[in-house]
Amino acid sequence: MAKMMYRDAVVSTIAEEMERDENVVCLGEDIVGGMGTPGGPEAIGGIWSTSTGLFGKFGADRVIDTPISESAIMGAAAGLALSGKRPIAELMFADFIGVSLDQIWNQLAKFRYMFGGKTKCPAVIRMAYGAGYNAAAQHSQAVHQILTGMPGLKVVMPSTPADVKGLLRTAIRDDDPVIFLEHKALYGMTGEVPDDKEYMIPFGHARLTRAGQDVTIVSTGLLLGFCEAVADKLAAEGIGCDVIDLRTTSPIDEEAILDSVEVTGRLIVVDEAPPRCSLASDICATVAEKAFAALKAPPLSVNPPHTPIPFARELESAYLPSTDKIEAAVRKVLSYR
Amino acid sequence: MANIRPFCMPKWGIEMTEGTIAEWMIGEGDAFRKGQVICLIETAKITNEVEAEYDSVLKRLLTPAGDEAYPVGALLGVFADADTPDAEVEAFIAGFKPAETSVAAKSGGSAPAPAAAAPAPVAAAPARAPKKIVTNRAISPEALKLAEAEGVDIEPIAGSGRNGRITYQDVVQALRPETAASYSGTAALVADSPEAFASPLARRIAAHHGIALAGITGTGPRGRISKADVLALVKPTTAATPVFGAPFELVANGAVIQPFDKVRKVVAKRLTEAKQTIPHFYLRMSAAVDDLIALRKTANLVLGTKASINDYIVKAVAMALVKHPDVNVQVHGDTVHKFPHADVSIAVASPKGLVTPIVRQADRMHIAQIAATTRALIDKAQAGKLGFEDMDGGTFSVSNLGMFGIENFDAIINPPQGAILAVGGLNRVAVEAENGDIAFESRISFTLSVDHRAIDGAAGAQFLQSLKGLLEGPEGLFA
Repeated sequence: MAKMMYRDAVVSTIAEEMERDENVVCLGEDIVGGMGTPGGPEAIGGIWSTSTGLFGKFGADRVIDTPISESAIMGAAAGLALSGKRPIAELMFADFIGVSLDQIWNQLAKFRYMFGGKTKCPAVIRMAYGAGYNAAAQHSQAVHQILTGMPGLKVVMPSTPADVKGLLRTAIRDDDPVIFLEHKALYGMTGEVPDDKEYMIPFGHARLTRAGQDVTIVSTGLLLGFCEAVADKLAAEGIGCDVIDLRTTSPIDEEAILDSVEVTGRLIVVDEAPPRCSLASDICATVAEKAFAALKAPPLSVNPPHTPIPFARELESAYLPSTDKIEAAVRKVLSYR
Repeated sequence: MANIRPFCMPKWGIEMTEGTIAEWMIGEGDAFRKGQVICLIETAKITNEVEAEYDSVLKRLLTPAGDEAYPVGALLGVFADADTPDAEVEAFIAGFKPAETSVAAKSGGSAPAPAAAAPAPVAAAPARAPKKIVTNRAISPEALKLAEAEGVDIEPIAGSGRNGRITYQDVVQALRPETAASYSGTAALVADSPEAFASPLARRIAAHHGIALAGITGTGPRGRISKADVLALVKPTTAATPVFGAPFELVANGAVIQPFDKVRKVVAKRLTEAKQTIPHFYLRMSAAVDDLIALRKTANLVLGTKASINDYIVKAVAMALVKHPDVNVQVHGDTVHKFPHADVSIAVASPKGLVTPIVRQADRMHIAQIAATTRALIDKAQAGKLGFEDMDGGTFSVSNLGMFGIENFDAIINPPQGAILAVGGLNRVAVEAENGDIAFESRISFTLSVDHRAIDGAAGAQFLQSLKGLLEGPEGLFA
C-alpha cells in the first residue's frame, strides 16, 4: 500500500486505465495545463492537478485540451462514448453543470435507454464540488442531489484516496454514464491506497466506517470525516455510532442503511446539499417507509440552510454542517423519549 | 405520581363470560410500551392478543397463564410506574373491586362500584388536569388540543417545527417521563475487505460469531452477503428444542393423550348438542356444472378475479336463500327468525379446528366481492385471527369437502341456523345424451341437512331446485 493524496489517486487511476485500455481518453478545460509556463506541459495538469503528467505520457490524441465550452465537452464525451471510446470528461467546477445539462441529462443519461440497449455509453464525467474552500456561491455547491435525481446516471462521491482509486476504476470500466464527484476540500487528503491495478469497489456498496449500537449516521464526501470525528468523540462517552459512507448515491445502498437502523433505531443523515428535496430527505423518507417499526426517534437530517453559499469565511463555516451540529443532532435523537 | 391501574379480564362479545390467559408476553416487573402485546387471552371462541393502551410497568402479575379461567372483569395484574412502592400496590389490590359488566347480574341491588379502581386511595389525583391555554407561541391545533387536554405547560417546550412552532410530537415528548438516554456503546468494526462483498450489518454479525466472509457468495444483488446469509452460517449453539402447543402424556400402549383445547371443546359441545337435539333430515341432489366451469373461466379472465367454484356455490346459495326465505332461518327455542339477507357461513378448517366465518349479505355481492371476502376470511382463519365479529350470526352454512375427493357427505347443522349444505367433489359421470348415446358431464353432488322443526321437506327441496337451476344456468348468477 502506498500513501497517496486524493488528487494523486485520481491521476494515477486514470493513468493506469489509459495504459490498460487505449480507448480511454481524457478531455476538459486546461487539463493539459501549464502550456507555455515554466515546466511545460507537465507543470500543472488542470486547475486541481488531477491530470498532471497525462499529456506527456499519452499525447494530444488521448489527452484533449478544450476551450471553455462545457456543453461542447459533454457533447463530445457523449459522441466519443457512442463511437466506442471511453471518455473521461472533466467539468472543473460542478457548479457549471447548468450550461451542459442538456448533454448530460437529456443525451448521455438516456442514450442506452432510448436506443433500446443497442449502444453503450461508457462516459465518466468528473467534477469538483463542495464548500469549505472559500470559493463563493458559484464555485462551492454540492450538486449530487440534482444528478442523483436523474435516472440513467450513476453518481459517485468518494471520501478517501482509496475510494477514489477503487470507485474511479469501476466508473471508467462501467458501460453507463457515471458522474464522479470529487470534493475539492479533500484533494489534499492523504491516505493508504491499494497498489493493485485491479482494485475496484462495486457501486451501491456502502462502507461502515464506525460501528455502534445507538445511532446511525449516514454521510458521504467531505462531511463523512466530520461524522467520524463526532463518532469518535461520543464513543468516549459510551455512545456508539454507526457511520455509513454511502460512496455512491445512485445506486444507493438502501440495504446498508436499513440494516443499521434496525440495530440502532435512530438515524441522522448528514448532507452537504441544501435541505429541500435532498439526499438527506430522501434517505429519511426511505427509512420512515421501510423501517418505521425499528425507529426509536424521528429521523433527523443535518443540512446547510436553504441559501446560496456565502463567500465570507466565517459565514461559509457557519453554513456547512459542522461537527458541533452533527453532535447536537446525535444528542437530540438520543434524548427522544 | 403512582399512577396505579388495574388490568382486568376484557369482555369480547356478548357471550364471553370468562377467559383463560394462554401466555404472558411480559413478566412481573417488566416495563412495556403502548401497543406492545401484553398477553394472549383465550376465550371459548377465539384467542386474542391484548395490547397495552399506555406505557407502564407490570408491577404485579396475579394470574399465571394456564388452564384456569377467570371471569370477565377479574383482576389479572396491576400496572404502575416503576418507582411505585410495593405497599401502595398491595393496598390497591386489597381495595380493588371489579367493575360491573353488562353480563353481570344487573339486579343485584348493591350499587355498582364506580369505574373500577380509579378512586382507590393510592391512585391519587391525576398528575395533570385539563386547562385552557392562552399563548402567543406558534403551535399546531392538534398539539394545542393535546396540551390543553393533558394540562401541559407549553412555555418551556422548544418547538421543533418551522420557526419554533410546537408540533404534536413536541407535546407528546413533553408528556413522557424524563428519562436519561441509554447507550449500548460501540461495536467491533470489521475491515472492509474487497474479497468479501457484504453489507455492513452482515460484517458485524460475522465478526460477532467469528465467521470469515472471504469466498462466500451471498444471495443479495451481485452476490452480496446479507444479514440472512451470515445468520444461516451461524451454527445453532444448542439443539433446537421442540415446542408443543399443549402438554401431553404417553400411556402404556404408546397412545398420546392430548386434552381438547378450548376451541375443540366448544366444537365438540356444540356439535353434540346439534346432532342430538335437532331433528335432521337430508335431501340429496346433484347439478351438472359444465356450463358453470366454462363461465367461471371466462368470468375470471374478464373480471380479473380468482373466484373458485365454491365462491359460485356461495353466491348461488345466497340467491336461492333469498328466493326461499323459509330456508334462510335461525331457530331459537320455539321461534323461527327469518332474514331478508343471506349471511352465509363457510366452514373452514383452521389450525385451531373447524371455524365458520360469515360472508355477510352474500346475495347482494358480486361474485368478485364474494371471492375477495372468502379469501380474506380463509386467510384470517388460517392465521388464527378470526374475531368474534367474523363468526357471530349467519343464516345458513356451506361446508365443502370436494377438494379432498369426497363424493358426498352429511353435515351437522350449525345452530341456531336452520340448514347446512354439504358440497361434494366434482365428478365426471356418464349420462344418456339426447340421441341415446353415452355422454360425460361434470357433476357436483349436494346434501342439504335440514332442521325439521322449522323447515319442511318441500321447502328444502324447492330451495335445492333453485340452487340446481342457478348452477346449471349460471348466467343467472350475474343477474
